[in-house]
Amino acid sequence: MNKVYFIAKKELMTYFKSPVAYITLVLSISIFNVFFFIIIDQNREVSLRDVFHVMEFMFLFLLPIMTMRLFSEEKADGTMEFLMTAPVTNLAIVLGKYIGVLTFFSILLSLTLIYFAIIEFFGSPDRQTIVSGYIGVWLEGAFFIAVGMMTSSWTHNQIVAAMMSYVILFLLYFLINFTQYFSGPAETIIQYMSTLTHLEHFIVGVITVGDVVYYLSGIFICIVFTRLSIENRMFQ
Amino acid sequence: MIITKNISKNFGSFQALSDVSFEINKGEIVGFLGRNGAGKTTLMRILTSFLPASSGTVIIDGDDVSKDSLITRQKIGYLPETPPLYLNMTVKDYLKFAAEIKGIPAKNRRRQFDSVMAECQLEHVASKTIATLSKGYKQRVGIAQAIIHDPKLLILDEPTSGLDPIQNLQVRNLIKNLKDQRTVIISTHILSEIEHIAQRVLMIKSGKIIIDESLGSLISSHNPCELNDKNSDESSDKGSSESRAMNLEDIFILYHSEQKSDQDNNKNSALVNHHE
Repeated sequence: MNKVYFIAKKELMTYFKSPVAYITLVLSISIFNVFFFIIIDQNREVSLRDVFHVMEFMFLFLLPIMTMRLFSEEKADGTMEFLMTAPVTNLAIVLGKYIGVLTFFSILLSLTLIYFAIIEFFGSPDRQTIVSGYIGVWLEGAFFIAVGMMTSSWTHNQIVAAMMSYVILFLLYFLINFTQYFSGPAETIIQYMSTLTHLEHFIVGVITVGDVVYYLSGIFICIVFTRLSIENRMFQ
Repeated sequence: MIITKNISKNFGSFQALSDVSFEINKGEIVGFLGRNGAGKTTLMRILTSFLPASSGTVIIDGDDVSKDSLITRQKIGYLPETPPLYLNMTVKDYLKFAAEIKGIPAKNRRRQFDSVMAECQLEHVASKTIATLSKGYKQRVGIAQAIIHDPKLLILDEPTSGLDPIQNLQVRNLIKNLKDQRTVIISTHILSEIEHIAQRVLMIKSGKIIIDESLGSLISSHNPCELNDKNSDESSDKGSSESRAMNLEDIFILYHSEQKSDQDNNKNSALVNHHE
């Protein structure tokens, strides 16, 4: 477990020792601030519902960029050989990297908690809805990161890793738009696969076991596939 | 220290290693020789458990590499052909991370860190980003990460390739100091280096071991008249310089020129067949 922590710490340090972390944080928060102002100004209601939708859409683009280097950079630089010959399990490597990026994402998301404070100051928002919305966005981000990490383990090219990640995430995100062409079980499956369906429940303040299971099982599957990928040396 | 039995490795239809068996005793310094693509790196990667063998077993210090991989990895220090360095990290941060990930207990970490920094003469570049270091220093950082957990077995894949003569000498001296405490496997194309460091030679050709012999006996077996030459008269100096003693490089070329002669033979027989 210690080694998971050491790898996560190193991943986090890698972000903060380069301009990437600061540029990502400043840009993301700036964009969120602009949308927060526009949404509150137009809607005139003490709710973060539309802000969560914007966050989800932004993370769809942002998170693959954050995760694309996770394994592909190690492979390209030859440091994968260092990790894989060290006395550390493959699962610990995967978990360490995952927790490292998840921590960075959590820091980014926590910076937006100021919006909660602002609407709490100016009105009486439904706290439960906002808390469940944040849990939903965090779970969705955690899922996106797991997908990004998985695609990064498939290639030594960071751009290819990001592109594959976009393909999977866009498919999951826009899947809901194709339900009209299907009916019966196929429609139900497509609805269940879509990330939008599940986040919507969180945003309106409903946390169901099915939605939590969707995200957690997605994360679990991606972690398992990442581990299998590095074990089978798919990159060689 | 190392027992390998019938190691084979296939990459699809390509056989990189074929039925490789050897034993290396504790404290031995063994040089892996062979042309590019002969299978040296593949063999080293199998020993370090980076790659699984297609068949065969590797026992390191009593533990099977495939079954007790984590235990054997703890006993091995490995420097791959390209030093595995995080270029945006400082030397200090990188070696601290190496110490952490290699399971050095927290109370010993500082001592081990200071020890390798001194041994590899890295103190004055400790705070520098690895990307800014010269190739020689990068190589030393690579060696430092390999020895930081005080491994019983050190595997170095071309540790001096691409270095200038001074850097080469520095790294060679560093390896010389390391060999007093450990079993060392070193692969290099600089054969004079093997002559200076190694006690034993394993020559690999097309995935097979063609020579497994102590360096002394290998050279003496190819120089049967060496003693007579030494006793010969000064007047024969000119003649003896023409038929000088074979060194490791000559022996290497001798073993690898057979392929060329085989090719020539094949070519000639093809021509004969054509004329017929």
